Amino acid sequence: MNAEKIRKDFPVLAKGITYLDSACQSLRPISVIDKINEYYKEYPGCGGRSYHSISKKVDEEVTAARKIIQKFFNAKKQEEIIFTRNTTEGINLVANSLGLKEGDIVLSSDKEHNSNLIPWQMLAKNGIKHEFYTFGDIADFKSKLNKNVKLIATGQTSNMDGTTQPVQEIIKLAHENKSLVLLDGAQSAPHKPVDFRKLDVDFFACSGHKMMAPSGIGMLYGKYELLEKMNPFLTGGETVEDSTYETCKFLNPPEKFEAGLQHYAGIIGFGEAVRYLSKIGMETIMKHELELNRKITAALAGKISILGTDEADKRGSILSFNIGKMDPHSIAIMLDKSAKIMIRSGAHCVHSWFNKHNLSGSARASLYVYNNEADAEKFIKEIEKIKSLS
Amino acid sequence: MICIIALVVFGILAIFSASHRPLAKEAFECVFLRLTLRKCRTGLDVRLKSQIVGSIMGKSPTTAKFVYKHFEIFSWALVILTVLSLAYTAYGGYNYYLYGNCYGPEDTGGFCIYNALNGESVTELQTQTEGELEKPTPDTDPSIGPVDAKVTIIEFGCYSCPYSRQAQPIVQKLLDKYQNKIRFVYRDFPIDDIHKMATLHSEAANCALEQNKFWEYHDKLFTTQEVCTGGEEDPLVHIMKIAKETGLDMTQFSECLKTRKYKEEVENDFQDGIKAGVHGTPTFFINGRTIIGPKPILAFEKIIDEELKK
Repeated sequence: MNAEKIRKDFPVLAKGITYLDSACQSLRPISVIDKINEYYKEYPGCGGRSYHSISKKVDEEVTAARKIIQKFFNAKKQEEIIFTRNTTEGINLVANSLGLKEGDIVLSSDKEHNSNLIPWQMLAKNGIKHEFYTFGDIADFKSKLNKNVKLIATGQTSNMDGTTQPVQEIIKLAHENKSLVLLDGAQSAPHKPVDFRKLDVDFFACSGHKMMAPSGIGMLYGKYELLEKMNPFLTGGETVEDSTYETCKFLNPPEKFEAGLQHYAGIIGFGEAVRYLSKIGMETIMKHELELNRKITAALAGKISILGTDEADKRGSILSFNIGKMDPHSIAIMLDKSAKIMIRSGAHCVHSWFNKHNLSGSARASLYVYNNEADAEKFIKEIEKIKSLS
Repeated sequence: MICIIALVVFGILAIFSASHRPLAKEAFECVFLRLTLRKCRTGLDVRLKSQIVGSIMGKSPTTAKFVYKHFEIFSWALVILTVLSLAYTAYGGYNYYLYGNCYGPEDTGGFCIYNALNGESVTELQTQTEGELEKPTPDTDPSIGPVDAKVTIIEFGCYSCPYSRQAQPIVQKLLDKYQNKIRFVYRDFPIDDIHKMATLHSEAANCALEQNKFWEYHDKLFTTQEVCTGGEEDPLVHIMKIAKETGLDMTQFSECLKTRKYKEEVENDFQDGIKAGVHGTPTFFINGRTIIGPKPILAFEKIIDEELKK
């Protein structure tokens, strides 16, 4: 992989920034930016409604994007790919459409992003329970399974510390328990190969903005037979085949879940982003990020407190840390001001975990394919400077 | 403590910029919490500290380390400087309202300076200014208003000084306003070293006085001053011309001027001015209280009103 060649695809890097906040939102390659512009310049029409040539072009591009995403994740049918705004919307769709009943249990890990926590908290008023197991702890997970656990809703990779769960095993155990599995793939889809059929996962939600696609576009995968049985969460235009004043007949998936005019530029850009990632290869991306993380971890081990584990190999592209009692926001601001290094700080939307462990938050550096050795060295040097302040 | 400075800075910026209003609000909240002996929860202090230290760190890590460790002390120093600077700003505003300048009644800007060293040694100057200053008297100089008025204004002026000319309408307004409550006395302080033939103008005015047309001639000297000082007319020609326009007996006037009849009188005025500490024109003494330069009428009114109340 030629990292320097890849870096040239990201115009914002020419500003001399070191972008280490890809777990929040990735940068976009010029091909994605061009693709979005292409929609607005060449065929800025509605899809699935009109019969003029521009509309037909939109349909073709949306279908192509859906198809490429289906292939990227090895879904069985392209109809299993539902476009959403983001991971959050995908999870909310499942939470509100799956038809969970009073007494049913949704099981999650203790490191869930608020997007995979709050939707289930909201279901408590319907008598649906939300229970937790320790992230990545299979024994604990097994111990929490029972006949009432109808859904496992958990993150594949933690956005907080970068650790990944053995989801293949979790899914197998869940299915043996006759439970469905919804994976929050926001942090895994952009950084490692994900194969829906191999995983046999029932639902998988991810966001485009973390994998080089425009913001405001995401995806929910669902097994077709499950999607067919589910009622739509959002209803309205383009979700129905026909309607009277009193009734309606919903379309088949994915249309019945894609209410209203869609974010066509986003969908088309998402398709282009996935094409770009596929060209590099997810294995290559994963290895590159890991190499950089190993380098940073080796240089800073013992100087900073790393969340999750000290083993870089288990944290993929993320390094979440604290420096003594220094405020994490302080670290982030100083990095930005002193060397234009952009990282995230705070509770990373995992307040529940930080509250439980009586921590205020952490600083988080997250890598992607466009980061290089120089970025890693610069980050190490600046962290050492900050460390010397305390 | 940095929040106090932030409140001042963002508070001022917030007047003009909507984007700074949330920051000003945050700073206010932080200051309020600190004043009520609670910890600032907004995080603004931490963010400001980090931004400052981060910016320094890019240039000098050693300085950044020093600032980081002593940030609270720096904050306090900045707070004190901010408070002092605000106090001075308020004081300047108060002076501007009263005296038309930020420095107060002692402002030395805007008047014709007498160069005491001109042609004299330092020792001579010291001799001149040694001892206590003498309060100037009206002497026998021309005046307007009752002799027993409660307030006496003595002006030491120079007919060739543009600042004395600027003060003239102010004097007129005061005379119109206070009528018989004040007495105005004009005394000569010609500054020859910066104004050509200034003494000649003063002597000419005294020559007009003996023909009881002092104030008409006095006013004309000021109103036509630029013609003379601007070089359009020779000073002597100018003096004669306005004497004629004033309706003076030109034979008597010419003789008076030629013989320098009032040379001593003008010199006496000048020396009295020096003894009173005058070092430029116009200098006003209102019952002994000094105003230097053509200050706004408010400055005069304030002192006159205070003196009238006594």
